[in-house]
Amino acid sequence: MLLHLCEWLEHLPWVVAISSSVVLSAIVEVAHYAGFFLLVGSIAILDLRVLGLAARRETPASMASQLFPWMCTGLVSAFLSGFLMFAGDASDFARAKWFGIKMLVILGALVAGITVQWNVSRSDGAASPSAWIKTVAFLSLALWIGAILTAVEVPAISGVG
Amino acid sequence: MTGFFMAFAKWLEHTRWAVAISTSDWAFPFVQWTHFSGLSLWLGTNLAVDFRLLGIGRKRQSIGELSSALIIWNWIGFAIALSGGFMLFASSATHYIPNPAFDLKVGILIPLALILHIVIQANARAWTASPNPPAIARLAGLLELLLWLSVVTAAVSIPNFETH
Repeated sequence: MLLHLCEWLEHLPWVVAISSSVVLSAIVEVAHYAGFFLLVGSIAILDLRVLGLAARRETPASMASQLFPWMCTGLVSAFLSGFLMFAGDASDFARAKWFGIKMLVILGALVAGITVQWNVSRSDGAASPSAWIKTVAFLSLALWIGAILTAVEVPAISGVG
Repeated sequence: MTGFFMAFAKWLEHTRWAVAISTSDWAFPFVQWTHFSGLSLWLGTNLAVDFRLLGIGRKRQSIGELSSALIIWNWIGFAIALSGGFMLFASSATHYIPNPAFDLKVGILIPLALILHIVIQANARAWTASPNPPAIARLAGLLELLLWLSVVTAAVSIPNFETH
C-alpha cells in the first residue's frame, strides 16, 4: 500500500514539474541543505553550550531563546524541501533501507533536541544544566551527526537522491 | 594557468590517500559526512548572525555578543568543512577543475563570502552601539547571506556540469 501511495505521489503533475525542472530541483535542494545546516548548526551550538563547551558567557536559557527561531526556520525549510525531494522519487526512497534509517535517526534527534530546548528554556538562568539534560544534549549532538552520516549514505549505497 | 591547475589536479588525484577515498565504498561517504558536518556548524552559526544583522530574531543579545559567543565553533566548523571539502576535491580533482560551477564556487564565491565574513566579525562589536543595526550592517548581513546561499547553489549545480 505504501508503494502504491508513493507511486501516486511521484506522478502528481506538480511533483513531476518540480523534479523534471533543473532550476526548480536546484532551488529545492538548496533550500534543503540550507535549512538542514541552519537546523543542525543552531541545535549543535545549544547542545555544546549545555555541555559547557561553547558560549560560556551566555546562559543556556539565553542561547536557547536566541537560537530557537533559527531551529524552527531550518526545520520547516528542511522538512518542506525534503518532502519535495522525496516526492520526486518516492517509490525508490521508500525501498531504500538507508532512507528509513535516516528518518528514524532524525526522529530520535528531534526528540532529543526538543527535550533539551524545552528543559533549558524553562530552567533557572544561573543554574548549570543537570547531568540528565547534559546526557540528552550529548545524545542530540550524536544523533544529528548520525543523521548527516545516514543522509550521505542514502545516495552512496542506494543510488537514490 | 589552467594547465598548471590540471597538472596539480592529476598529481593530487593519484596520491595514495586520494585513490583510497575514490575507490572505497565507505571512505567517500565518510568524507562527505565530514564536509557536511563542518558546513552545519559553519553555515548554521553564520546564518544566525546574518539574520540578526538584518534585524530578524530576538534581540536579547547584541550582534557582537552573539558573534563572540559563536566565533570559536564557527571557525572549527570551517576547518572541518575545509578538510572534508579538500578530500572530496582530491578524489576527483581533474573532474572538478574544468567544472564551471566548481570554479565559481571555490574561485569566486567562497573567497568573497569569507572576506565579508571576516569584516562582519571584526565590526560586530562596533555595531552594538544601538539596539538596531546600522544600514551598513544590514547590507553586510544580507550580502553574506546571499553569498553563502550562492555557494550552496553552485555546489548543488556541480553535477549538472560534469564531463565524463
